[in-house]
Amino acid sequence: MRIELTQGVGLTVVPTKKFKTTRIAIHFLTPLAQADVAARTLLTSVLETSSADYPTQAALSAYLESLFGASFGIGVGKEGHWHRVTAGLTLLNDQFAQENLLQQGVAFLAGVLNRPLLHAGQFDADVFTREQHNLHQYLQSLAEDRQTQANLGLQAVYFDDDPLQATPSFGTPKQLLAVTLNSLLHAYQQMLAQDRIEIVVLGDVAVSDVEKQMQALKFAPRVIASVALPVSGDARPERTKVETAPVNQAKLNLGYRANFALYSPAHYAAIVANELFGGSALSLLFTNVREKASLAYYASSSLDAMRHLVMVQTGIDAQAAPKVTQLIADQLAAVQAGAFSADKLQVIKDGLVANRQTAYDSPRFLARQALLQALLAAQPRELAQYVAGVQAVTKAQVMAQAATFNLEAQYLLTKQPKES
Amino acid sequence: MEQHIYSDVAETLYTQTLPNGLRVLVVNKPDYHETYALLATDYGAIDTRYVPVGATKFVQDPAGIAHFLEHKLFEKADHDAFDLFGATGANANAFTSTTRTAYLFSASAQVEKNLTILLDFVQDPYFTDKTVNKEKGIIGQEIQMYQDDPGWRSYVGLLGNLYPHHPASVDVTGTQASIAQITPAMLYQAHARFYHPSNMTLTVVGNCDPEAVLNVVAANQARKQFPAATPIIRGVQPDLDVVDMQQAKTIQLPVVRPKVQVGIKGTQDVDDSAAGVSFQIAARLLLEALFGDSSPLYQKWYDAGLVDDSFDYSYDAQRTFNFVALGGDVSQPQALIAAIKAVIARKSAQPELSQARFDRLKHAALGKYYMSMNSLSGIANALSAQSFAQTNLFDYGRLLQQVTLADVQKAAEQLFNLDAVTSFVIMPSQGGK
Repeated sequence: MRIELTQGVGLTVVPTKKFKTTRIAIHFLTPLAQADVAARTLLTSVLETSSADYPTQAALSAYLESLFGASFGIGVGKEGHWHRVTAGLTLLNDQFAQENLLQQGVAFLAGVLNRPLLHAGQFDADVFTREQHNLHQYLQSLAEDRQTQANLGLQAVYFDDDPLQATPSFGTPKQLLAVTLNSLLHAYQQMLAQDRIEIVVLGDVAVSDVEKQMQALKFAPRVIASVALPVSGDARPERTKVETAPVNQAKLNLGYRANFALYSPAHYAAIVANELFGGSALSLLFTNVREKASLAYYASSSLDAMRHLVMVQTGIDAQAAPKVTQLIADQLAAVQAGAFSADKLQVIKDGLVANRQTAYDSPRFLARQALLQALLAAQPRELAQYVAGVQAVTKAQVMAQAATFNLEAQYLLTKQPKES
Repeated sequence: MEQHIYSDVAETLYTQTLPNGLRVLVVNKPDYHETYALLATDYGAIDTRYVPVGATKFVQDPAGIAHFLEHKLFEKADHDAFDLFGATGANANAFTSTTRTAYLFSASAQVEKNLTILLDFVQDPYFTDKTVNKEKGIIGQEIQMYQDDPGWRSYVGLLGNLYPHHPASVDVTGTQASIAQITPAMLYQAHARFYHPSNMTLTVVGNCDPEAVLNVVAANQARKQFPAATPIIRGVQPDLDVVDMQQAKTIQLPVVRPKVQVGIKGTQDVDDSAAGVSFQIAARLLLEALFGDSSPLYQKWYDAGLVDDSFDYSYDAQRTFNFVALGGDVSQPQALIAAIKAVIARKSAQPELSQARFDRLKHAALGKYYMSMNSLSGIANALSAQSFAQTNLFDYGRLLQQVTLADVQKAAEQLFNLDAVTSFVIMPSQGGK
């Protein structure tokens, strides 16, 4: 149940005795159109490594050690049209620790978020320079992970009409270098004063106690922007890009736009259609591209519902790209044509249900569900709702939904052709 | 079943060894939806040399055979084990490490049926020329993929420096050339030797009744015939010698940032007895004290730009070998190598090793240990890995609490040996991106 602590600041408490931990996540959300994503990312590095209470990383880490090895981190992400900064803290639960770790953890987060290390109203210049340098190095080296490079490459092609979506949630090296002490401070002040805030606390806790403790965060009321979360599902023509790099294994990624309303019957059909297409080890992509044709080490698809994006990822022999492209098209055509048995459909649905049940054993998954429920009215509240949604999907609905999967982007990362 | 109660972590472990030698370990977690089961054999990538069942002489298998066997066991004459698990809604997987191979499933329903599928597919090998040759294409792709991972390359490179004449240095997957030599006969022979029940452990953690699990497993095993267990004669010998180590190596790859790995070869055998596990705990606390986030030394290096968040360290103790690895993405590889060597040269005389820091690190390690119990797969993997040892995961908290600062200093004296240090550097090649 979401509690409004003050205007624009929500708290969702998920009491459970299942875990030996308490998880606190404080999410700051702002529309991408208003977010300096590079500054917000740099901000996470600066806040994570220093505060007025703990001015060095060593001091901050030492304090976390004294909290029974609490794990703390600040990260960024996207929720459709929104940008998210999340400060997360996982603590040993109070019953196990025999001390009030939750209270100390909330006080720690309040300090990190409200009392950063400032000198004369500006962030520490040394910390700023070092973290900007390190983050820049990190962003530049992302291409060393070829799978990441291919995923980002596909998204750039797929969202070539929407720079906010094409840009990763952590920004680009160029945007990062443009961040100044002033713009960092501005991003911080804006985040703290104007962002929508959603707090999630999960563990063996009492709602009223948590609500009382959260007052320590002292967040001021704010007016929330009214920007919808989901990205459009309207189809566009196909785009293609080939990039070369010194790689042994080529990466071929495809992007399809699926059309459905979130958590409508069509959405559940999309979930099932994606699972059948490439979402599991029983899927057509896995069995026919990886196992039978022996063409790829991996071949799978995933559904990003908030962005209506079905993405196929493969790692293949460079010369096999045309053959793999055709095989992938054949598998989607098979889903669209209903070339699968009723048994297969049921097995796929049962697998989705089993995965969802298993996910309910993960505190991180449950905390994430609580956030999504706070953000999206349609997000299923109970496991049973999701299970019913999946089990109700018919073969005809799968075929109809797969027919909306519109191939819009192809991205191939491959080796340089040999010079003759 | 035997019942072991660990009140400090509020867990109960049930154990039983079947007449054929198979060990069964069960932990019941009634609050969870999932049950996670792991069938593991004490056979990994380093076990390429052994005496086959009924033979008297050693055979030498191609590198990568344990991993190849793992891939191949799923495929049968008329079906794939993946599909059998999938038909119940379960997920299946497998992995091979240097010393172990494990097959696993995660299920939220029909646990007993999935246990039967797991035991049957692992214990009933089916290899033909056709299926073996097809697998060479799939694993060939996997090998190529790892070749494109510079982090992996630097780690494997370090192992090459540490263990030039020991199979620990050979990639678990083998090479394109080595797997090309694998035949169905070799796979059957290795399976007969290392997949005997007496060399295996079944670990089940989750929402399951221990007696029911045991009944299913015992009935399944009673239906199968296995030859009497015979001792396994392995060709791989401990490698604790610094004589043939390569001191330093640099290669060029298309990377953006240089990468460095510094290794310290363990020169004394560390087994999985309580004393061995305590030593491993002390060694990891030592590394954390010196190179962890709260270390003043690490802070100095971080502020000076010598290291960044990518810097990491580990201590790995396996059957026949153990070593420390330190490294990450750096701007000045040689400066970091020199700085690490200076720390090693101080042995136990480290300013970071105060009683107060030691106490705090131990407190944190205890909390992290308790918190790790949220993960069923984490519990199952740890129990399974130690299933042939005298201690298990649930003893860890007690052993950790017994470790003293003096133990950590002793670990530093033993491990920090400049003669045992080596480094592996990857530099960006021209024109790379």
